[in-house]
Amino acid sequence: MPAHAEAAVLAPVPGGPTAIDLKERVRSTASDQFMPYLLGAAAIFSGLVVTLLVFFVVQKAWPVFHAEGLRFITAGGWDTQLEDAWNGSAFFGVRALIAGSVFSTLGALLVSFVLGLGCAIFLAELAPAWLRRPFETIVQLLAGIPSVVFGLVGLMVVVTFIADRMVPGNSGDVVTEIPIGGACLLAAIVVLTFMILPFFVTVATDSLRAVPRSYVDGGLALGMTRWRTIMRIQLPTAAPGLIAGLVLAAARGIGEAIAISMVAGAIAFVPNLAHGPLYMFLEPIRSMASAIVENGGEAMDVPSIAAALFGLATLLLAFSITLSMIARWAFGLFSRRMGVVSDRNL
Amino acid sequence: MGSITKQGNRRIGSSIGIALCWAASIAVAAVCLFIIGYLVFQGWHAINWHFLSTDPVASLSEESAGGVRTPMVGTAILVLFSIVLILPVAIGAAVYLAEYMDERWWITRIVRIGLETLASVPSVVFGMFGLAVFTLGFFKFLSSSGTEGGSMAFGRSFLVASIVMGVHILPFVIKVAEEAIRSIPKSLRQGALALGMTKWRTIRKVVLPAAAPGIATAVVLGMGLAAGDTAIVWLTLGGTMTMASDAWWKFSNWLPVLRGAGSTLTTFIYFNSPAGDGNSPGAAFGAALVLIVLVLVLNLTAQLLFRRGSKAGS
Repeated sequence: MPAHAEAAVLAPVPGGPTAIDLKERVRSTASDQFMPYLLGAAAIFSGLVVTLLVFFVVQKAWPVFHAEGLRFITAGGWDTQLEDAWNGSAFFGVRALIAGSVFSTLGALLVSFVLGLGCAIFLAELAPAWLRRPFETIVQLLAGIPSVVFGLVGLMVVVTFIADRMVPGNSGDVVTEIPIGGACLLAAIVVLTFMILPFFVTVATDSLRAVPRSYVDGGLALGMTRWRTIMRIQLPTAAPGLIAGLVLAAARGIGEAIAISMVAGAIAFVPNLAHGPLYMFLEPIRSMASAIVENGGEAMDVPSIAAALFGLATLLLAFSITLSMIARWAFGLFSRRMGVVSDRNL
Repeated sequence: MGSITKQGNRRIGSSIGIALCWAASIAVAAVCLFIIGYLVFQGWHAINWHFLSTDPVASLSEESAGGVRTPMVGTAILVLFSIVLILPVAIGAAVYLAEYMDERWWITRIVRIGLETLASVPSVVFGMFGLAVFTLGFFKFLSSSGTEGGSMAFGRSFLVASIVMGVHILPFVIKVAEEAIRSIPKSLRQGALALGMTKWRTIRKVVLPAAAPGIATAVVLGMGLAAGDTAIVWLTLGGTMTMASDAWWKFSNWLPVLRGAGSTLTTFIYFNSPAGDGNSPGAAFGAALVLIVLVLVLNLTAQLLFRRGSKAGS
């Protein structure tokens, strides 16, 4: 189309855009048609990259699952199998590693739920206005501390404390097969607690704040104390949000590799309640994620070890995908509930 | 009588509950401040010009163990490369999610679920993913496979680590950037459209400039995540403390260095902690102090940008 015809079509209105504007407009129409596809490709690529990740990890883990099936999960003895694998053996059982991950994460979840709920109620309801911003900053600061720093401080402070003050002199008599030296399940729980706490606190605070003010006002008007409105109205209403926060925190905990590898003793041992409720927490563990970083170096050159480590990565993927599905379900429940007044909660 | 004591119990119960919430918050704040104070206290002695300006040396005694120059450079390379690599994709995806996508479309749902899942994948799994992908022959050009320059690690290099790290931080950057774009008031868009601007021009000339502080927040947060991660670096950058080339600062050596193994501050700390092979806690604390200052500066910058952005948006 010649330029003058273009101007005639596009600028019939007197006093409208000038010719230069029109040229710009025609040019951007072309990019208007082109850009959505480019942007859409970026979005779809980003959304699908996780399937690539699953594909590659599972494909590399396939030899170990194919050879061992469920025994990979149910059998124990990781540490000795790892030694043997250098000499050609190719059998692995990761039960102790799963136990290490689950015990440390559950313990940390329990503690950070209690502590974090206190922090969330404080932030959402109790804190005086001038204290809110600084405390929020501190929680974000805690979330920003790298895991290797948590590991270092945990190793120098928590592990040393446990070794000096808590490990009894006769520990060797009770647990003969492993050394008790301060690096243990308890240290992992303590360190992990403060690593996952900020994520729970952030989500929990947002959930508590999302509870409509009218619910609380109704309770106060009926003569309930401030504390009772929190316990009887806000917490039950925000419960799905709290669950989602807890599940997200669990996902962080189960995937934490570096800090646990530094403070938990790095021995694939299942803490045994029969040794006594205190000893159990003083026994070392090794988690799935920490086993990967500890052996992901030269050992990756041995095909059977590499397959076993990819098997662990597959298990971690399964855990984290399941947890993120539960979190999505809980968030959905929460946002639906925020629209509906439920008598049950009052 | 009964109801009076019950009320009394309740009052006591609520004061105890409130006191416990205060106690929990004070405890958490104390732990956070203790960690930072402890790092400053322990790391202060290690930090001097020599520590910052020499490369790590493999040594059994802490006096001759060298400093953290290459780890610092390594962190800088990794952080900058990973963010630059994914920024176009991240902003494109954020714009598309915020401006074009219909939330009821099934593809939208899949993309959202995919991003959420990606965000929940532990970083150690990203590291394994990187090893699985970049040891394929097709990607040979990204890492040096031989022993040239002292690097023995095939499939482990700055380029590989940056790509994997970029994928790791991608969902977080997209999320923050999308929220920034969504927070731009409708009236700005309507004004631009009413003036006859097309949709893409509106986005480019009006929405993106207005969302710039928020997008900058996303970038800085992503940089903080990349700087603090250890597992990906440990697995995909190799465990060597120095660069592939001793004369890494020479511009002509850029390719061997980027294709070679190395270290960042995080892997330096991991290696030198009493749990690692290096076992020189003094150097580890010095590096930890440098790292924490870097991460805190990044996070505070993100917060300042975020506040500026939300002021501009409202």
